[in-house]
Amino acid sequence: MTLRDFTDLPLDDLDRDGALRQAADELERTSRAGFLATVAGGVATAAALVRSPAAAAALAKSDVAILNYALTLEYLQDAFYTEAERKGALEGPAAELAQVVGAVERAHVKALRDVLGKQAVKRPFFDFRGVTEDPAPFTRTAVAFEDLGTAAYKGQAHRIKSPEVLAAAVGIHSVEARHAAWIRYIAGAPPAAEPFDAAKSVNETLQLVRATRFIVVRPRTRSRRRPRYTG
Amino acid sequence: MRRPRTRRFLLSATVATVAAGASLAALAATGGRGAPSVSLGATGAPGQGLAPPADPAFRVQQPRPLQASRFESTWAAVRQATPVRAGPRRAAPLVGRVEPRTPEGTTNIVLALDRAEDARGSLWIRVRIPALPNNTTGWVPRSTLGGYGVVSTRLVVDLSDRRLTLLRRGKAIFRAAVGVGTEQFPTPTGDFYVRNKLTRYRNAFYGPLAFGTSARSETLTDWPDGGFVGIHGTNQPALIPGQVSHGCIRLRNEAILRLARLLPIGTPLRIRA
Amino acid sequence: MPDRVSVRVPDPGSAVRAAVSEDGTTSRERFLQRAVVAGGALVAGGVIIGGLPRLAASAQSPEQDVEIFNFALLLEYTQAAFYAETVERAELTGELFEFAKVVATHERAHVDYLLEALGAEARAEPVTDFGNATTDPDAFGAAAVTLEDVAVAAYNGQAANLTKGALQAAATIISVDARHAAWVRSIIGEPPAADAVDAPLTAEEATAQLDETGFLQEERR
Repeated sequence: MTLRDFTDLPLDDLDRDGALRQAADELERTSRAGFLATVAGGVATAAALVRSPAAAAALAKSDVAILNYALTLEYLQDAFYTEAERKGALEGPAAELAQVVGAVERAHVKALRDVLGKQAVKRPFFDFRGVTEDPAPFTRTAVAFEDLGTAAYKGQAHRIKSPEVLAAAVGIHSVEARHAAWIRYIAGAPPAAEPFDAAKSVNETLQLVRATRFIVVRPRTRSRRRPRYTG
Repeated sequence: MRRPRTRRFLLSATVATVAAGASLAALAATGGRGAPSVSLGATGAPGQGLAPPADPAFRVQQPRPLQASRFESTWAAVRQATPVRAGPRRAAPLVGRVEPRTPEGTTNIVLALDRAEDARGSLWIRVRIPALPNNTTGWVPRSTLGGYGVVSTRLVVDLSDRRLTLLRRGKAIFRAAVGVGTEQFPTPTGDFYVRNKLTRYRNAFYGPLAFGTSARSETLTDWPDGGFVGIHGTNQPALIPGQVSHGCIRLRNEAILRLARLLPIGTPLRIRA
Repeated sequence: MPDRVSVRVPDPGSAVRAAVSEDGTTSRERFLQRAVVAGGALVAGGVIIGGLPRLAASAQSPEQDVEIFNFALLLEYTQAAFYAETVERAELTGELFEFAKVVATHERAHVDYLLEALGAEARAEPVTDFGNATTDPDAFGAAAVTLEDVAVAAYNGQAANLTKGALQAAATIISVDARHAAWVRSIIGEPPAADAVDAPLTAEEATAQLDETGFLQEERR
């Protein structure tokens, strides 16, 4: 399944998503170096319950990268559902889902930003190109997003170093799976098609996200030119 | 997916575990010597004594609904030069055009007000545009716009009071005295929006920074770059408040610096007589 | 009455590793020796009861995976039997029955996977009695929700205790059970995903919730 199946829009080579690149780079870097960080500093200990921004410094670098990867996907879902609710173009079960799931994804974003503190990746800018304003593309895309979120968390679970981070992540992973079944039910698709759900790798996931072209460069509305207003 | 690969979890110690578990059950059933009497329940030993979960590294707060949207306003970038029409259909008469860039070199933005589908099911958006006559709105295809930005602020300028007020979620968070257009070159009234911000230029006449709006002078129609009304600082603070400008809204420099920390691009602007 | 503790002393590292080293002593003997050293009270049958503190997080090990997977197997056996009986009795209709048919195949697959993973270590199949939960729509819906939710919470509770390989495998099952839960809730008109996070359960809590259903009879040995 690719997101191409779920949007009518063609693929584009252009990679305009700095947020994704940042998340991918960090994961790439830390997957090699991650174990060194924990061995050297003992940074992730069972006692370090990470609740404060200061404590975020105690997270292993690879765990930070994984959490930022999760945060990027949560930003995407948050923006998608929040915009859909604001636009008010959905009706019935889909509208209700956008409302409920949007609130949950916003809560996920807040939780991840809080635990990451200064290390959190910035919120990207999104262009959903009307998908949030049209019931059929919305539903298809929501199915893809929730399946993707579940598979992405699943792909990283075994790489998380801190048991506490893992405990938090698995609690979100299963919620994303509930979302996936819910939106599939609304869409008339099988809520649970197979007995075992496959994980997705970082590359696969980010490739799919990139293919949507939803993450865009923030419009530049500042300049250093001299004003030529009427004065 | 195919089932996960099976691993053989084989270690001799586990035989002891299973055996010991059975002994445990036997002890309980017979009230074995030395064993406290315990109730095993139907499920017996399995699962008993497995280590508890780790404490999650972060908690997720209770999800909250979106706040009231009546304070929200939406803007979008203009992606390409686009005719703006009186209705949401290709055959509707033209009311103007929008360009993707402003004279200041920034991405042009419009306010997104409304939505409609045409006969083919294509999405059109009604937008407020930086055109003359002032207060023009019209329809463009959704595909000509970029992603939406949302603000919960709005700016109100009262020309007779010579005051500017910034509200966030309906509450005033900033007020300042302003210089406005003279009778000869009045500041236009109506509904507009803030579309860009200029900084670090060197021109004391405009003060340390300037905001561009979608409002245009109705008298200075030959002004280079379209005669847009700006909100900016000044090198003549003594003139404020007053009717002193060619249409621009001038603030004293310390005020515009404070405003700049609070005013997002895309904020709607109402100018009252 | 003191906390029940694992019959294996949860000692991350040396005790467990030593218990399985090859030096002539049986692993069980060495294990029990360590237990005495650790200060537990030994009773007939070589089983330690009471008095030993539980650690907040135990080290991962293949032996622990076996225990955890055996616990999961209990849950999956229960689910599989529940759906299989529902399908066999064929008294449900419509969406609920379609759901039961599909999920029966999934839970059977989960059981088969765990059986293969555990091999000779696999626990016995429990004896179950589902009453009218496999024939009455309301009872079925409630039971399905409970069984799926308990499984998800129990797996989540053990995630940090599994070795990484076992966790990868378990994760492919956890999300499917979570899908099942949301699916059946959608069918019966309950909010499919009301919470922002799925809270974990300890094994004891999961066992207790399972016991409360009354579905499990005295364990077959």
